[in-house]
Amino acid sequence: MSALATNVKRRVLTGVRVSIVAAMVVIVVVPFAWVVAASLKPQEALSRGPFEPFTPQFETWGEVLRSGVTASFTRSVIVGLATVSIAVVVGSLGAYAISRFRTGGGTMRFGVLAGQMIPPAVLVIPLFLIAFQFGLNDSLPAVVASHLTFVLPLVTWFLIGFFDEVPHEYEEQAMVDGYTRWRAFYKVVLPQVRPGIGAAAIFGFILSWNDMFYALILGGGQARTLPVAIAGFNTFRGVELGRMSVAILMSVIPVLIASFFVQRRLIQGLGSGGLKG
Amino acid sequence: MPTDQGQHPLSVDETSRPRTVRTAEQQGRRLGRLMVLPLIVILGAIFLYPVLFTARISLQDYRLNALGDVRFIGLDHYVSLLSNNTFITAMRNTAVFVVVAVGLELVIGLTLALLVHRQIRLRNLTRSILLAPMFVTPIAVGLMFRFLLNQQLGLVPPLLQAVGIEIDFFGPRLALLSLAFIDVWQWTPLIFLMMLAGLESLPKQPFEAAKVDGASAWFTFRRVTLPMLRPAIVVAVIIRTLDALRVFEYVFAITRGGPGEATETIQFLIYRVGFQFFRLGEAAAMAYVLVAVVLVLVAVLVRLSRRPDAT
Repeated sequence: MSALATNVKRRVLTGVRVSIVAAMVVIVVVPFAWVVAASLKPQEALSRGPFEPFTPQFETWGEVLRSGVTASFTRSVIVGLATVSIAVVVGSLGAYAISRFRTGGGTMRFGVLAGQMIPPAVLVIPLFLIAFQFGLNDSLPAVVASHLTFVLPLVTWFLIGFFDEVPHEYEEQAMVDGYTRWRAFYKVVLPQVRPGIGAAAIFGFILSWNDMFYALILGGGQARTLPVAIAGFNTFRGVELGRMSVAILMSVIPVLIASFFVQRRLIQGLGSGGLKG
Repeated sequence: MPTDQGQHPLSVDETSRPRTVRTAEQQGRRLGRLMVLPLIVILGAIFLYPVLFTARISLQDYRLNALGDVRFIGLDHYVSLLSNNTFITAMRNTAVFVVVAVGLELVIGLTLALLVHRQIRLRNLTRSILLAPMFVTPIAVGLMFRFLLNQQLGLVPPLLQAVGIEIDFFGPRLALLSLAFIDVWQWTPLIFLMMLAGLESLPKQPFEAAKVDGASAWFTFRRVTLPMLRPAIVVAVIIRTLDALRVFEYVFAITRGGPGEATETIQFLIYRVGFQFFRLGEAAAMAYVLVAVVLVLVAVLVRLSRRPDAT
């Protein structure tokens, strides 16, 4: 009797659990589905009610792909790649030194992240003025420099954790075999953390891809990145809504695909190196 | 394990090995300094210089449209901020936004992590979907919700009207809370992710012991799970709080600070004062007040994480 009761209780609990999780999944999915639908709706269907049936069309997609939004998309790719390349090279060198040689000690190890406490508002004013002095205002290099303020520390931090996990014996053995310190790092340790570098690079790219604040101030005109271009769709007329939805999806789809590759790594990275430090 | 064959000079002289090791160590230290140099140079250029520069111009009458006439004015900006109503409103709005958003995110994220933690079926798919919002650019999320919650064109208001509820999401009373809910939609996944990571790195024995002792699920959660998760929770709350203080995109996309000053937040105000009204000195002073607030908050949160458990 009581075994039956616990059985029933367990089933009810499982039911509650599954329905909560299912509800959350719906709450996450509906906004995306809604924007996908809007990007396929013909113009007149957009101003009708949300539940009216419509015949999907791809004209809006074609229109946006032929417009300036494509150039913004390319600019976002360039900024992301440049930021991440610099961050990975500089970050992995620094992270290795901090992890292995304890260069700079604990101050350096945690100091890397300290900058993240500084509000972007403090950094953006001088960055804007420096860019202005060098004639680089409204240019991609200025945006890249600003994106390094949040990508470089994070990539370095992740990599310190990954380097910490590579056993010291690897390099010691390599050096016994006659490798120099540098070659041991480059040929032996670096390949070990390649998956970690990959995940950190993708994560850094996503952060750069998503930024609007710096990109708006340092490159709001000719150098508009995709988020700044999306921000331009702020008049809510029928036509604009369809185009806006397409632009949103152009920004969202690549990132969601990329995120699948980093999620598991992120959980690991946060669980081990990230949190324990 | 060097994979590079044929390159190992095998003639390591046994007698000279201690010396080799010592020079290797010195070599390492020198190499370490060399390797860390680019990092320090870049961090110095993008952090140290800007921080000092902004501190300096916060004491000056620095206006972008009057660069020939920059005067030192001491703490005037800071003093006038004390009686600047828009600034005070922006600070208050930001505080409400942060508390509501981060509080809800923590409760929902932790609950969700506990629910999904031992899930077996559709495990990876569920996680991928639940994590998706945090990877999307906030400006897109802002516009998506502005559209979704729009009275005429949106999805949510007609649904609510069907059951007799009329809500003006971006009216003066609810606008700030609506923005906070959008933040919850986007950033609960981050807390969820960090809680999952935390749960997965917890040792098994305490849970088994609690089970053997016949502890209830609630008791186990309160006395075993929660205390062990505390460091992860504090880190998650610090990260989210620092980020929520910077709320900008939702305001920019949806309300532009209005109606009235209902959604004027600090980062948006600094943007307007500095880059639309060109009063960079004043904006710098506002930014520095924000720095002070951030430092106090972080200090408090870190202390909280170190407090020894009562039990």
